[in-house]
Amino acid sequence: MGWFSSSETDGVKKTSGGAFEKPSRTNRAKCYEARDAFFECLDRNNILDSINTKEGVAAAKKACNEQDVVFEKNCAHSWVEYFKKQRVVNYQKEQTIKRIEAQGGEIQAPQLPTRGS
Amino acid sequence: MATSCNCVAAAMRSLRPAAAMRLPLRSPPCRTFTSFHHSNLQRSSRTIWRQESARLSGSQRGTQQVQNLANGLRGQSRPFSSSTPRQKLKTIQQVKARNKGGPFNLTAAVLFIATAGALYAYFTYEKERMARKRIAEQTKGIGKPKVGGPFDLIDHNGNRFTSDDMMGKYALVYFGFSHCPDICPDELDKMALMYDKVVEKCGRVLLPIMITCDPARDTPEVLKEYLKEFHPDIIGLTGPYEKIKDVCKAYRVYFSTPPNVKPGQDYLVDHSIYFYLMDPEGDFVEAIGRNFTADQAAKVISDHIKDWEGPLKKKDRWA
Repeated sequence: MGWFSSSETDGVKKTSGGAFEKPSRTNRAKCYEARDAFFECLDRNNILDSINTKEGVAAAKKACNEQDVVFEKNCAHSWVEYFKKQRVVNYQKEQTIKRIEAQGGEIQAPQLPTRGS
Repeated sequence: MATSCNCVAAAMRSLRPAAAMRLPLRSPPCRTFTSFHHSNLQRSSRTIWRQESARLSGSQRGTQQVQNLANGLRGQSRPFSSSTPRQKLKTIQQVKARNKGGPFNLTAAVLFIATAGALYAYFTYEKERMARKRIAEQTKGIGKPKVGGPFDLIDHNGNRFTSDDMMGKYALVYFGFSHCPDICPDELDKMALMYDKVVEKCGRVLLPIMITCDPARDTPEVLKEYLKEFHPDIIGLTGPYEKIKDVCKAYRVYFSTPPNVKPGQDYLVDHSIYFYLMDPEGDFVEAIGRNFTADQAAKVISDHIKDWEGPLKKKDRWA
């Protein structure tokens, strides 16, 4: 595809603002792959938060800089921020659910009924 | 009336066993009663009265019977309450002590407050229940929720697409944007699955529509490129920011696209992620959330399509 010709090492083609020039399934797949590699590295180094705190950013840069660079290269910048924040939120969500279930409560997320009127 | 009162009083007195014999019952005392009647009636009623008085005055036996009856009743009777019966209060002091507080005592006060409280609680509950019922009846059956409405946008081929183009078919409307990181692509994949399942069951009577919340970046060309990866039948709609804003408002969709973006700017759009099922007349049928699997959603849509009794267009210009 046209916008993909700019060699693999450069990652996906992006606009000056850091967004995907054209979001496609292939681009997304590459981005997800880079994200998973980065998160795996964070897991290995026991880092949860790589964006919200100064220490977290520093720790992530020290331990997983290589993967972070690839991540930034393959994803829109807004996506990188989104996924990094999502990682923290998802972890907190899991912990909350575990805590409530340990207390014997039941989790019922607010959602539409699967069979409406 | 004085005489009549005397009459009644006398009759009452006559029932007392001791005084029964001393009463002046032979006098015709009840003129007040009889005077209301015609003369012949007067005569007959007088006779009755005379007979009555004769019976009363004449029979010591009658009073004896009354007393026997009373005795019998007393023997059988049981008190209704466990409180001390009045006749057991022997001395005047006891009676006075009992009646000192009048009818008010602790038991009565507790009963009164409990009853008042219970009544208050009951009426409050009933009042609230009636209010809820009234609201339910007010909203019930008055109409479908106002979701959706007319719009005038541009499809992914650059052609004009208005809400009229949705008429005659069911439409599954989704709001999204091509730069969406993870949820929208998943939802659009699901939409493609849903669409294929519905087509398989019901034929081509459903329009899968994706309206962008990010018109600045999602031009018809971008949408065309983007959507063909999900399903070639999905119709992508875009337009000027103001028109997109109006559509989002009509469909009660929240979105957070900045109105003035520079070319190439990198941002994300927060938006509602429901599928809106619209019927062939453009009325909202049901919202399908993220918790539905493709199978569940396809079933819901197919059921609605099967329920539809009006005409359905099977052909379209996008086929």
